[in-house]
Amino acid sequence: MTYVLNRLLSVILTLFLITLVTFAVTNILPGDVAMMIMGTQSNPEALAGLRESLGLNDPLLVQYAHWVGGLLTGDWGNSLIFKKPILELLSQKIVASAVLVVMSMGIALALAIPLGVWAAVHRDKWQDTVSSSSALLGVSLPDFFWGIVMILVFARWLGWFPSSGFVDPSVDFLGTLQHAFLPALALGLGLMAHLTRMTRSTMTGILSQEFIRVARAKGLSERTVIWRYALANAIGPVITIAGLQIGYLFGSIIVMESLFGYTGMGWLTYQALLNRDLPLIQDTVFVIAGVVMLTNLAVDLLYVVIDPRIRLG
Amino acid sequence: MKRFKTTKGMIGIVLLALIALIAIFGPMVIPPDAATAMDMRARRAPPSLTHLFGTDQLGRDLLFRVILGTRTSLEIAVSAVLMSVVLGLPLGLISGYFGKWIDNVLMRLVDTLLAFPALLLALTISAVLGPNIQNTIIAIGVAFTPYLARIIRGEALRVAQMPYVEAARSSGTTDAMIMWRHVLPNILPAVIVQATISLAFAILAEAGLSFLGLGTQPPAASWGLMIQASRDQLDIAPWTAVVPGLAVALTVLGLNMFGDVLRDILDPRSK
Amino acid sequence: MKRRDFLRSSTALLGSGIFMGTSLPMAAWAEDAPVSGGTLIWGHSETTQNLDMHQTGTASSGRVLQNIHSSIVTVDKDLNVIPGLCESFEVAPDGLSYTFKLRANVKFHNGATMTSADVKYSFERCKDPATGAVNFEVFNNVAAIETPDDLTVIIKMSAINAPFLSRLSENGAGVIMPVDSGPTQGTNPMGAGPFKFVSYEVGTVVKMARHEEYWDGPAFLDAVEAREITEPTTRLTGLRTGELHMINDIPLDRVGELQGDAAVQVKTWFPLNFDFINMNHTYEPFQNSKVRVAFDMIIDKEALMQGALWGQGATTPSPSFPTSAAYNKDLKQRPQDIEGAKAMLADAGYPEGSLNIVFKATTNYPYHIETAQILVEWFKAAGVNLTIEQLTWADWLSQCWVDKDYQMTMMNFFSLWESDFLYYSVWNSEGAFNYRAVKDPIIDELTAKARITVDDAARADVYKQVQQQIWAESHDIILWFRNGTIGAQPAVMGLDTVVHPNGSNLNFHKVWIKA
Repeated sequence: MTYVLNRLLSVILTLFLITLVTFAVTNILPGDVAMMIMGTQSNPEALAGLRESLGLNDPLLVQYAHWVGGLLTGDWGNSLIFKKPILELLSQKIVASAVLVVMSMGIALALAIPLGVWAAVHRDKWQDTVSSSSALLGVSLPDFFWGIVMILVFARWLGWFPSSGFVDPSVDFLGTLQHAFLPALALGLGLMAHLTRMTRSTMTGILSQEFIRVARAKGLSERTVIWRYALANAIGPVITIAGLQIGYLFGSIIVMESLFGYTGMGWLTYQALLNRDLPLIQDTVFVIAGVVMLTNLAVDLLYVVIDPRIRLG
Repeated sequence: MKRFKTTKGMIGIVLLALIALIAIFGPMVIPPDAATAMDMRARRAPPSLTHLFGTDQLGRDLLFRVILGTRTSLEIAVSAVLMSVVLGLPLGLISGYFGKWIDNVLMRLVDTLLAFPALLLALTISAVLGPNIQNTIIAIGVAFTPYLARIIRGEALRVAQMPYVEAARSSGTTDAMIMWRHVLPNILPAVIVQATISLAFAILAEAGLSFLGLGTQPPAASWGLMIQASRDQLDIAPWTAVVPGLAVALTVLGLNMFGDVLRDILDPRSK
Repeated sequence: MKRRDFLRSSTALLGSGIFMGTSLPMAAWAEDAPVSGGTLIWGHSETTQNLDMHQTGTASSGRVLQNIHSSIVTVDKDLNVIPGLCESFEVAPDGLSYTFKLRANVKFHNGATMTSADVKYSFERCKDPATGAVNFEVFNNVAAIETPDDLTVIIKMSAINAPFLSRLSENGAGVIMPVDSGPTQGTNPMGAGPFKFVSYEVGTVVKMARHEEYWDGPAFLDAVEAREITEPTTRLTGLRTGELHMINDIPLDRVGELQGDAAVQVKTWFPLNFDFINMNHTYEPFQNSKVRVAFDMIIDKEALMQGALWGQGATTPSPSFPTSAAYNKDLKQRPQDIEGAKAMLADAGYPEGSLNIVFKATTNYPYHIETAQILVEWFKAAGVNLTIEQLTWADWLSQCWVDKDYQMTMMNFFSLWESDFLYYSVWNSEGAFNYRAVKDPIIDELTAKARITVDDAARADVYKQVQQQIWAESHDIILWFRNGTIGAQPAVMGLDTVVHPNGSNLNFHKVWIKA
C-alpha cells in the first residue's frame, strides 16, 4: 500500500516536472506565433504590436505562473492561431485520438497474439520464422510509409475506406470507425512486432510449465490447453507491454494523423508546434505527457499485482 | 532444433556483415559524385541495365544512393544508440543499484522524459541547433536514453539483490567497486541485446525525422531521406520506396535475428 | 498552344488572359447553361486558422474567407482597381482624400443593409492596434473617415499613400463587416460575400451556405465544404476516388499525368507567384556584386524550372506581374556560363574551392528543396561548395526573414502586383521586406521618385529602371513565375471564374455542378 501511495505522490511530482520541462522547451523554440500569423508580412513594428495584443511580452515567470495556475483552475487559455478556447479544442480532438489509439492497439493485439501463439507452439520450426519475419515487416519500414500504402491500396485501388478525414462520433459513429481504420491499421503494424515477440516468449515459458503438462495429461485437447490455459496466463505480461507502448503510440499519431488528415491530439500538437502557438503547445504536450505517464503508472501498478517482489524496490 | 537456431543466427550475422561491408567499402567503390549526379532525362526511370535499381525524382541512380545511404544511416544509428547507452547506463545502474530515494528521483526524471513526444524534442533541438547529422544523432540519442535507462535500472535492481552482491557488500567492498565488478558485467548482456534492437529503431527514427525535414540534409543520401522522398511517388515510381525500404527491412531483420541469438547466448534467463 | 510557347512570347505575356490550360475544350463548356444546387466538396491544401479576416495573414484562411467577405473595391483580371461594395470611387487630385459611393442594395449575412457606418467601423477596426490586424499599416496615413450620409464615405489622408486603393482591394484591409461584429468574427465570420459561414471544425472542414441576398446575385451552389487535406498524395487520392469535387494545389510533378487523365479536369493559371534566390548582402562575399553576378551565371534557369517545377511555370528576369505595364520586356536572364562564373569569382578574390555557402530552404515549399539540390550540383561544378539546411516555416521566418541569419536562401511572393508595394518593400533599403539588406542608392532614389510620379506611363518607366538595376547588380536572382493548379471532377463547371486575379484566392460564386 505504501508503494502505491508513494507512486501516486510521485505522479504529482512528475506532473510538476512535466510542466517545467514543457514550459522550458517551448520557450527556447525560436520564432513565435506573431511571426507565423503575419508570415511574410512581418516587420518589426507590426510584430511588436501584435505581440503586445497577444500578451507575448509578459515576463517568463509570470507566463509560467499564469499557465500552471490556469491548468489548476480549469482556465486553459485560448489558441492563438485558431482563436478558440483550448479546452474546447482538446475535448474534440482527444476523442478522435482515443478512438485511433484503442483501435490500433486492438488491431495490433488481434494480429500479434495469434501470431505469437502460433510461433510459440511451433517453436523453432518454420512457422516460428514466418511469424517473426512477418511481424518484423511492420517495423522494418516507418509507419508513415505503411500509411501511404494503406491509402493507395484500400482507398484508391479498392475503394473500401475513405482516404482521409475525420467524422465526429456523436454524429456518425460508424463513419468515425471507417475513417480511423486505415491509420489504425498502419499504426497497428508498427506495434505488432514487439507484441508478437512478447507473446511468443511468454507463451514459450508457460508451455513448458508443470500445469500445462498436467492439463495435457488430463487429456484436454491441445486447443483447449493452448487457448484457454496457456494464453490466459500469458495475456497479463502482453497487456503490460501493450500499456508501455501507449507512449510510443502517442508519438506515432503525430505523423499518422497529419498524413490522414485525421484531426486528433497528434495533429493538434503538430499544428501547435509548427505555428509556435505556445499556449496550445503547452497544453497539448501537457495532456499527452500526462496520459502517457498515467498509462505508465497503471502499468507499474499492474506489475505490483502480478509480481509482489517489486515492492522491495 | 539447435541447428535451426544457429542457422537463424548465421543468417543474421551474414546479413549484418554484408551491410557493414557495404557501409565501409561501398562509398570507396562507387564513382565519386555518382550518388548526387542528376539526369533530368531519366527522372523516375524504372530499374534497367543503365540504372539497376532505377532512378529517383531528380534522375539520381538509386543503387549508388542506397550504397552511400548505408554508411550515413548506420553512422547515425550506431552513434545515437552509443550515446543513449553512455547516458542511460550510469543513470539506470545507479538508480537500480542504490534504490530508495536515489532511484525515486532518477526514475521521476526518466518518467518525465519518457512522457514527452520525441517529436517535440527533435523539433526543438533542430530549431535551436540547426538541422544536420550531428544534431540528428543527439535528438535520437537523447530520445532513446530514458528507455535504456529504464531497462538497465530493472536489470540492475535484479542483480543488486543477488546473493553474491549481498556478500560483497557485507565484506566491505565499496559500492563503486561492486557496481564495476559485479553488477555491470551481469547486466551487460541485456544492455547489448537491447542496444542491438535499438539500432533497428534508430534507423527508423531517422526516417521519421526526415519526414519532418530534420535528419540528413539533401542531396546527401540516407535510407530515411530516400524513403521520405518516395512518399509522394509511391504509386507511380514504387522502386523509389522499395529500394531503401528493402535496405532498412533487411537490416532490421538481420539485427533482430542477431539480437535473438545474442539473447540466447548472453542472457541466462531466456535459456 | 503549348504552355512554354505561350510563355516565351512576351507579347502574350501582356495579353489579358491569365488562364492557360484546361484539359477540357472551352467550347464544350459554353453550351451548358448553369444550374443551381448541390454541395461542392473542395479538398483544401492548407489548414484554416483564425477566421477573423483582419487578424489572419495566412493565405489559407484568406482563401476560404474570400467567399464570405467582399471588399469595398476589387480588381479586374488586368489588376485595375474597380468598384466592389462601392458603386464608384474618386481620388482627389492632391491624393489626400478618397470618396466612396456605396451600393444601396448590399445585404450582410445577418440581414442588415450595409451603410457608411459599417465601412467606417471596419476600417477603424483594422487601423486600431488593439485589433491585431495584419494589414493595419494600410491605414497609417488615414486622418479621418467621414460619413456625410448612409451611402457616402470620405477618407482624409495626412500624407499621400499611392498604393492605398490597391491595398483596399484585398479583403485583409478592404473588407466590410457589419458594425460591432468584430468580437465574433474569429468564431463566426460575417460579411457580405456570396456564401455564409456555417461551421468550422478545426483542421477538418469549413462549411458555407449560399447567401441568397448577395448583391451580385445568389451563387449557384447550395453550399461549399472546404475539407482540409494538407498531404498532397492524400488530396490527390481523394479527387481520384471521387470523394472530392475539387482540389487546389496539385503537386507539380503530377500535373502532366493528370492532364492526360480524362476522368479529371486540370486547370493551371499563371502566375501564382514568383520565386527568387536571395543572397544576404551583409555576408562579406555577397557585398561584392561580381560574386552575385557570378552566382547568377552559374544557374540555368530554364533547366532549373523544368527540374524543380516540372515545367509548371515560366522563367522571368523581372518580378513585376507579367500583365502589368511596369514589366520590363527588354531584360533577359543571364545564360548559364560556369567557366565565366569561375573566372569572375577568381577575379573577385574567391578562387575555386574557397567559398562554402549554407543554403537555407524551407520545407514549406517542397520545390524549394528540389531547387536547392539541383543548385548544389551546378555550384560544385563552379567550385563553390553549397550545403543545404532544411527549415520549417517557423524557423525560416525567424532565421531568414526576421533575424537575417543566413547566407543564401530562396522565397516566393504572392500577389505583390502593386509596383510600389513590390519594389519599395522588397528592394528599397528602408523597405519592410528587405530581408537581404539590399542597399542600393540608385534603387532607393528610383523607388522614392516613383511614389511622387503621377503619370502612369512615366511611373511604369521608373519601375522598369528599377528592374534593370536589380538585374545589373544581381541583388537577387529572379527565377520564374510558378503556375497555380486546380484539379476537379468533370462535372464541376465555371472553374475559369474561381481564381481571384491575384492568383491565390478562390471564389465559388459562379461555380456550378452539372447534373
